[in-house]
Amino acid sequence: MQIKNPKDFWAGLMFFVFGAAFVVIAVGTPDFINRIWGDKLIPGYQIGSAVRMGPAYFPVVLGGLLAVLGAIIFFRSFVSHIVGAAAAVKLPFNIIDLAIAAGVFVVTTFVAKALGISNDYAMLGSALILSVLSIVFRPETKALVLILASGLAFAYLLKPLGLVIASIAVVFISAYGGHEFKWKEVAILALVLVIFSVLVFVKGLTLPFPICPDFVESCPIR
Amino acid sequence: MEWFNDIYVFVAKVFQNLGVGFVEVFKLQSVTLWGYTLNNLPFNIIMCLIGVLLGTLIGVLPGIGPVATIAMLLPVTFTLSPVAALIMLAGIYYGAQYGGSTTAILVNLPGESSSVVTCLDGYQMARQGRAGPALAVAALGSFFAGCVSTLIVAMFAPPLAEVALKFGPAEYFSLMVLGLVSAVVLAHGSLIKAISMVILGLLLGLVGTDVNSGVLRFAFGVSELADGIGFVTVAMGMFGIAEIIGNLEQKEHREVFTSKVGSLWPSKEDWKRVWAPTLRGTALGSALGILPGGGALLASFGAYTLEKKISKYSHEFGKGAIEGVAAPESANNAGAQTSFIPLLTLGIPSNAVMALMIGAMMIQGIAPGPQVMTERPQLFWGMIASMWVGNLMLVVLNLPLIGMWIKLLTVPYRILYPSILVFMSVGVFSISNQPFDCFLMALFGLLGYVCVKLECEPAPLILGFILGPLMEENLRRAMLLSRGDPTVFVDPVAKPISFSFLLVSAILLVVIALPALRKTRDEAFAAEEQT
Repeated sequence: MQIKNPKDFWAGLMFFVFGAAFVVIAVGTPDFINRIWGDKLIPGYQIGSAVRMGPAYFPVVLGGLLAVLGAIIFFRSFVSHIVGAAAAVKLPFNIIDLAIAAGVFVVTTFVAKALGISNDYAMLGSALILSVLSIVFRPETKALVLILASGLAFAYLLKPLGLVIASIAVVFISAYGGHEFKWKEVAILALVLVIFSVLVFVKGLTLPFPICPDFVESCPIR
Repeated sequence: MEWFNDIYVFVAKVFQNLGVGFVEVFKLQSVTLWGYTLNNLPFNIIMCLIGVLLGTLIGVLPGIGPVATIAMLLPVTFTLSPVAALIMLAGIYYGAQYGGSTTAILVNLPGESSSVVTCLDGYQMARQGRAGPALAVAALGSFFAGCVSTLIVAMFAPPLAEVALKFGPAEYFSLMVLGLVSAVVLAHGSLIKAISMVILGLLLGLVGTDVNSGVLRFAFGVSELADGIGFVTVAMGMFGIAEIIGNLEQKEHREVFTSKVGSLWPSKEDWKRVWAPTLRGTALGSALGILPGGGALLASFGAYTLEKKISKYSHEFGKGAIEGVAAPESANNAGAQTSFIPLLTLGIPSNAVMALMIGAMMIQGIAPGPQVMTERPQLFWGMIASMWVGNLMLVVLNLPLIGMWIKLLTVPYRILYPSILVFMSVGVFSISNQPFDCFLMALFGLLGYVCVKLECEPAPLILGFILGPLMEENLRRAMLLSRGDPTVFVDPVAKPISFSFLLVSAILLVVIALPALRKTRDEAFAAEEQT
């Protein structure tokens, strides 16, 4: 069997996995797996009846439907009339890269747990590792990875290091993901955005964001 | 003469209601800002101006749309009064329809997705040195459409809300099915993929605590997911982040006709050619805007296709026909405004922007639905009246001040997108002050990016996401009331409204699946692919 339409192949697979996952989590793992595991692997929720629907009822119906549709799209990809460039997936990464990325998050989470430090560091570490991996091994994913990493950097830097540093990090990381990176221009942009964010978001709209890092005793801007 | 009396009462009521609205819009208030109290400030008008200014700004700038902007501003609206907040957010949406045409005409880039078809003829007009008339026709057509569609909202919202008050859970469920089916039918590309995206959206909407049993569903022990996934987070990820990544993968190329705008005023010949297309565009746009799943985008496509078919200048289309600017630009503004009808009367969003408006109402503690009109007439009519005022402001902003917006077009994207990212991150973080929301935003950004690459449109997913919990709730209630009898939804005698909603949904699905019609639908969307 030859995959004629890779777009349908991967879309179908994605929908099937999502649908099946929702069904399995809603109804729980079947008995024979629970017996092997020794305990309920996934406990599941109550189905209920058509009159009194339990928390699992609607998700199971929808998840089942999604899995079926996913399977149809999946099998359609082998007989599709849309072939060639129109059907080619133009993703800059493959499924293995995606698995590696997920693996990095899992590993750093475990490391953080073992070291007894906050999971926030695991997130920051993963973003850093993936950015470096992307720049070195997969330059075509640079835009994607660095934009996503800049969002993570903001999220996990804001509380410990404050709005100023978090905003600067977003600007520099995301700008590095673009076509051209000019130090001076990016620095000026960062400065303008920091002043704007502090004035508008913290002073004007009174969002409860720290401005300076934790360890700075007296922040010059209050 | 009874009918005359009926009409008289109807018209009088419309004006009476609009009067309530205008009083609210022009009301003088005392406002406290940064510790200073300002008295006698027409605050609602100021918020309307800020809204349309922002709307024009993001409309002009390609790469940022009203969805991301409104999502960013949602946390901000918490500090405003409900009327001021909704007036401002509405202004962003229809303001963006005005601004989008400027970029389409001068740069051949859609500043707004609903201006995609304006590029076809507007840019050609600009190349022929007729950018001025194109801009003027777009702005004046939008103004005309805005005025007419505001009147349509004022006329049709009250009777619809009255009907909606009689809706039970079965009717609501069927109506939402119709809305989702329309969203699927109007999505680009594969039908089955669009259905799958809707279902995925519905499922993602169910994450969090189940309201009936209190069970925490699909949360994987993450405490931040107890309240579910925030809609703003999903919208920013799927639309904001994914769009930035997509834009960065393409090389930037822009050719701006800044110096060649010339005289703005259209010639006598132009006037003769545009009045009919503007009328048709307004009518079609108003109708398509009301449809669930519709709105500005669909309206502009529909109007352009219609005009191309029936115009006697159809051979000029694509080569700078002024009708090709007038019709879609008036249609998208009309559609943007009439898409408020389902929101205001039924509490059901017809597109992603309306879903955000629901979010804004909920932040203010207002349950969207037909009761808003009777319980908060100032809010309801104030918002509608503000559309009129806002449209007037927009004509002034877009015609005499056009030079200001053209200057903005010279700002390169590499300056814009880091700024957008900072604002989005601040907006998402401030929802619950937790880093987890930003993480989710990045995750949905990845999902949105992959979906676009796999030709699965994100818009149906967003609509499903909003309607997921509502649908489950109404399904459960309807089934409980009918004692588990599923025929309650399709009983033509006991539930004629629910029955007809589902019937229309079924017909739509069958019709769109027919090969003959599929072809025309693909052709209509193919026009966009070429731009």
